[in-house]
Amino acid sequence: MRAFAVAQPEDLSEAIGLLAGEPAARLLAGGTDLIIGLRDGSIEAPLVIDVKRIRELDASIANAGGGLVIGARTAMTEIAADPRIRARYTALAEGAAVVGSVQIRNRATLAGNVCNASPAADTTPALLVFGATVAVRGPAGERSLPIDEVFVRSGVTTIRPDEIVTRIELPPIAGRVGSTHVRRTRRRGHDLASVTIAAAVLESGETRIAYGSVGPRPLLRVDSTGALADPGASDAARLRVLDDMFADAAPSAGSMRASPEYRLAMLRVLGLRAVDAARGRREGSKA
Amino acid sequence: MTSSLSLTVNDRPRTVSIEPHHTLLEVLRADLGLTGTKECCLVGECGACTVLVDGRSVDSCLVLAVEANGSEVVTVEGLALAGALNSLQQAFLDHGAAQCGFCIPGQLMAARALLETSPRPSRAEVEDGLAGNLCRCAGYEQIIEAVLDAAERDAAPTAARSPDRGAAAEADPAATPDANLAPQ
Amino acid sequence: MTGRAGADPSGGRGHEPDIGGSPNRVGGIGRVTGRQQYVADIPLDDALHVKLVTVDAPRARIGFIDKAAALRVPGVHLVMTPDDLPRPMPRFGPQFRDRPVLAVGETKFHGDPVAAVAAETLDAAEEGARQVHVAWEPLPAVTTLDGSLAAGAPLVQDPELRPDDPFAGTNVLREHRYGWGDIEAAAADVHVVVEGTYEFPMVTQFAIEPHAYVAAPDGGGIAVWSATQHPNWLQRVLATILGLPLARVRVLSPDPGGAFGGKQHAKYEPLLAFMALRAGRPVRLVLTLEETFQAVRRGAARVHVRSGFRDDGRLAFREIDADYLIGAYADIADRTVAKGSYTSAGPYAIPAVRIRARSVLSHTVPSTAFRGFGNPQQIWAVESNMDEASRVLGIYPVELRLRNLANRGETFIPGDTPADGIWTEAVERAARRIGWGSPAPAGHGRGIAVGLKSGPTTGLSHATVRLLADGSVVVYSGTSDMGQGARTIFAQIAAHELGAPLDWVTVVMGDTAVVPYDQQTSASRSSVIMGNAVLAACRDVQAKVRAMAASLEDVPAEAIVVEAGRVRLPGRELPIRDVLARGLGRLGGEVTGLGEGRKEADPEHPLGGTAAFYEFNCTAVEVSVDEATGDITVHRYVTVSDVGRALNAAQVRGQDEGAAIMGLGHTLMERLLLDADGRIRNLGAIDYKIPTTLDLPASIESEVVENGDGPGPYGAKGMSEGALLPVAPAIAAAVRDATGVVIRDLPLSPERVWRALRERDAEAVR
Repeated sequence: MRAFAVAQPEDLSEAIGLLAGEPAARLLAGGTDLIIGLRDGSIEAPLVIDVKRIRELDASIANAGGGLVIGARTAMTEIAADPRIRARYTALAEGAAVVGSVQIRNRATLAGNVCNASPAADTTPALLVFGATVAVRGPAGERSLPIDEVFVRSGVTTIRPDEIVTRIELPPIAGRVGSTHVRRTRRRGHDLASVTIAAAVLESGETRIAYGSVGPRPLLRVDSTGALADPGASDAARLRVLDDMFADAAPSAGSMRASPEYRLAMLRVLGLRAVDAARGRREGSKA
Repeated sequence: MTSSLSLTVNDRPRTVSIEPHHTLLEVLRADLGLTGTKECCLVGECGACTVLVDGRSVDSCLVLAVEANGSEVVTVEGLALAGALNSLQQAFLDHGAAQCGFCIPGQLMAARALLETSPRPSRAEVEDGLAGNLCRCAGYEQIIEAVLDAAERDAAPTAARSPDRGAAAEADPAATPDANLAPQ
Repeated sequence: MTGRAGADPSGGRGHEPDIGGSPNRVGGIGRVTGRQQYVADIPLDDALHVKLVTVDAPRARIGFIDKAAALRVPGVHLVMTPDDLPRPMPRFGPQFRDRPVLAVGETKFHGDPVAAVAAETLDAAEEGARQVHVAWEPLPAVTTLDGSLAAGAPLVQDPELRPDDPFAGTNVLREHRYGWGDIEAAAADVHVVVEGTYEFPMVTQFAIEPHAYVAAPDGGGIAVWSATQHPNWLQRVLATILGLPLARVRVLSPDPGGAFGGKQHAKYEPLLAFMALRAGRPVRLVLTLEETFQAVRRGAARVHVRSGFRDDGRLAFREIDADYLIGAYADIADRTVAKGSYTSAGPYAIPAVRIRARSVLSHTVPSTAFRGFGNPQQIWAVESNMDEASRVLGIYPVELRLRNLANRGETFIPGDTPADGIWTEAVERAARRIGWGSPAPAGHGRGIAVGLKSGPTTGLSHATVRLLADGSVVVYSGTSDMGQGARTIFAQIAAHELGAPLDWVTVVMGDTAVVPYDQQTSASRSSVIMGNAVLAACRDVQAKVRAMAASLEDVPAEAIVVEAGRVRLPGRELPIRDVLARGLGRLGGEVTGLGEGRKEADPEHPLGGTAAFYEFNCTAVEVSVDEATGDITVHRYVTVSDVGRALNAAQVRGQDEGAAIMGLGHTLMERLLLDADGRIRNLGAIDYKIPTTLDLPASIESEVVENGDGPGPYGAKGMSEGALLPVAPAIAAAVRDATGVVIRDLPLSPERVWRALRERDAEAVR
């Protein structure tokens, strides 16, 4: 790897100052994307700022007004194992559980997954479905970004270069909820997804679906009609609703992993399976 | 611009002068002389570089050495105690789990981490725990069997020895095999 | 004795050397403690680090190479370019001397090095490599069969390298024609003809150890460390290219971290040797995984099979036309085409066969040996053809094989070794174990396939065995133990023959200065040819012990038998150790034996010699297919190999199951993808996928047929490639059984299966 300096600031304002002073600096959390990029030259940075010693950032998952607050340093292993996330935000736990291998999950952070903004990220559809908020701090202070305003395209978010994610908040969910995360890969072993879907069916009958890896950023769509959540609805009827929700899918033609045709077909297949699973889980869940 | 790295490796305090852009893998191998941890894909896919950092299994190719300042690192060289193989190592030997051996340090470290969190893992949990460790020689079966066996041994270290492997008698090879292979 | 490798640890922890048991791997302790040193681990205090310089094109004209900036990088010692090498550029290669030490004037594949930098640190070498400025321009490249074969295609190899070759003006390196009988006459007797064209993609070995090499000046000569499967061959290449006597070229070959054929032939060792001599210091090159994918691969192939069957299912004729896409330099690729073709009609009794196969050059990574050695590609086609035939004929796939398999002792390839195994037994065992004949669960399909490969056609291995004064033993063998367990086998043989406990046997390998000549480690030959050499050396020791006993006991030597560690005198017997202790007397000493395993060449034979033995495997699988996604689930996997004698049951199991999983890799997920220009897109592990623990069949069972009918020690044959051969056609047959779709290209990725299912659905509607 080309040489770079590493800073390990112990407080947030120092970290923000370092970022402001070096526009090409990169933040290091789990390193599972950054170090690959530094090694293959797709990322060039004279300075890497390790966030893991910043005292204001933590790796906790805390209750907050019926929802959860996930620290910026929280790794996928913790998210996948947390009983509250598994119970109420199941799609997020399932997404976190398939990010790479055990070794990767022990390091990769949720915040990092968001900031890396890969369209194929495994946790971002779930965050969209649950309406998460990303708290960031920069020289001008703190901002809260609704997750559906964060992703622009691969590698690009609305988080400014001089801002650091401090936490990710999951709002409370009223009533029963069932959710799931499904995806397509080339093998059962860990892989980058060629289609990734999170689906949640709420008490109200609203179905929220977010899908990724079929366009430059993951997209959230909501069915408020109750049609998808209706156990009596036919597959054909539900597919019509899904097709409408998937209308903006724009898989890239040049991908090695899957063709656009296959991805679009799998969106429908997995969409239906995800909705069925989410609905089934809602039946089994507590409010 | 070098910096000083102080960490504990296999229970020994080590201090070494390193380049900040070097990974933990590079420092273990080149600066600390611990070549048991292997280099292969360098993108966190193959697990050959797996070590434990503060009790967690990680791909050391994706950890900058400076991140491990003050940490406790365990590598394959730290598994044996006073020269005696640990139960995982012995099980790997007894089950023929190592063929070329190159993936084995990583497999052992991943297995060690697995058994620390799940002392009596199911087969599915072993498969999941080792899914980040590629092997090209084996069908993985003997590795998985070794891990399951090591878990048993750790649970019941004084259990009676298993019957002699070589003694199992099989059917008489001279017998004519079933001829009825016609379909129903 | 037939046997299934036991899964339980033995009560005797690895002390029994019994042949056929599963004593612990010799060398295992180094592997589980991390103490074993692979080439990248060898400590060398003053070694320079080397990085290769390449250009980003499949083919390029190379102009001026500007070293100045690179040489200014602190720590850079040497920038090697063709100007620093002898003129004309030295070339090497096992079949053609076509490969330059460094590309000169033109690079012929993406990754073909034009220069190399040696520096004090890896960082400096990397920076130095970035600072070498190469003037280059892309040239038109051919990277597919159709491209290479098109009229007017740019030539990959300089025609002057083969001036008398009628193909010299084309990209066809060689054409092989084999066959016997009269196809046209046989065709008259035919009830059904089945034909099809099949494709086998480019895949790469992906050993977990990337390639690594070290070279160092050694007195007036050179020492080279390379995880090579053929240390003596490499020694010869280096001696020739450097102009040194063999005795001045020392090749040290640590156990490879996996090789699978990719580490057989010289790649960058000659370059490193020149660099070491120029620098006056050791130099080490460790390739990245990406660079390793650019160094070795399997030949891709397009195979057309046309088979005629009589109405009783007996084959009347088989015609095969195969084109292999090999790389820019021949390496051993054409030999893989020859060997893969010669037996490709299969282990069957067929009256008329015609095979035409071509190795076609391209501007791609030089293909080389890879487990199966040219056979998997054609077996994919031929066994799929058998499966299609079974459907057309209305004869079940198992039965079709049984009716056509050659019987042991039967000549099935005129002029070659007759069938050397009861191959029907392997098929019957596999079929029985998978439950053929009983209905598969709903939605499941079953498939079966067989694979045949000939073992080595010639061979020479020497071995030395020293029986030391206390009865312990040292064995010297030039075989490369790359995981198959050769070291253990030889230790077992010596332990058994000389009566030593297994852990009293040391096996020394991997040093041409110390270990006698071995031709190579390939073709699954080592248990047989080197095994026989070790056995012969042990017998030589036994003969000397016999003479010693005769003298000590004052008994005629003819009355004494020395075998299996015992000295049998009239009326009593003693362990060898006892005779030694007395026989060596006051001067001490030891008893040394020499042995040789040899298979003579036959210059009349198209392959240079008949098969020493055959590897035969039958694989049966049961799968289900998710018709909405194309995912294949392998529920049951059964593999049965005909091995003569399993010298170490656990190792045999490990090899066969490993071969099965490797086969599932190219069957379900592996493929090197090229971009429009011909560069590999999926270098490295993120987008080149091989099976993990999550990709295993729900159950895998391996068995061996042991009829003691091999030419090796105790009736052994070579093994470890056989179980790879029929994986793809067995899985495809099961997919066909489950869904009705026939797929003729690999891998059977979910998307490919999905497409085939949708085409099937569309056909049904029409």
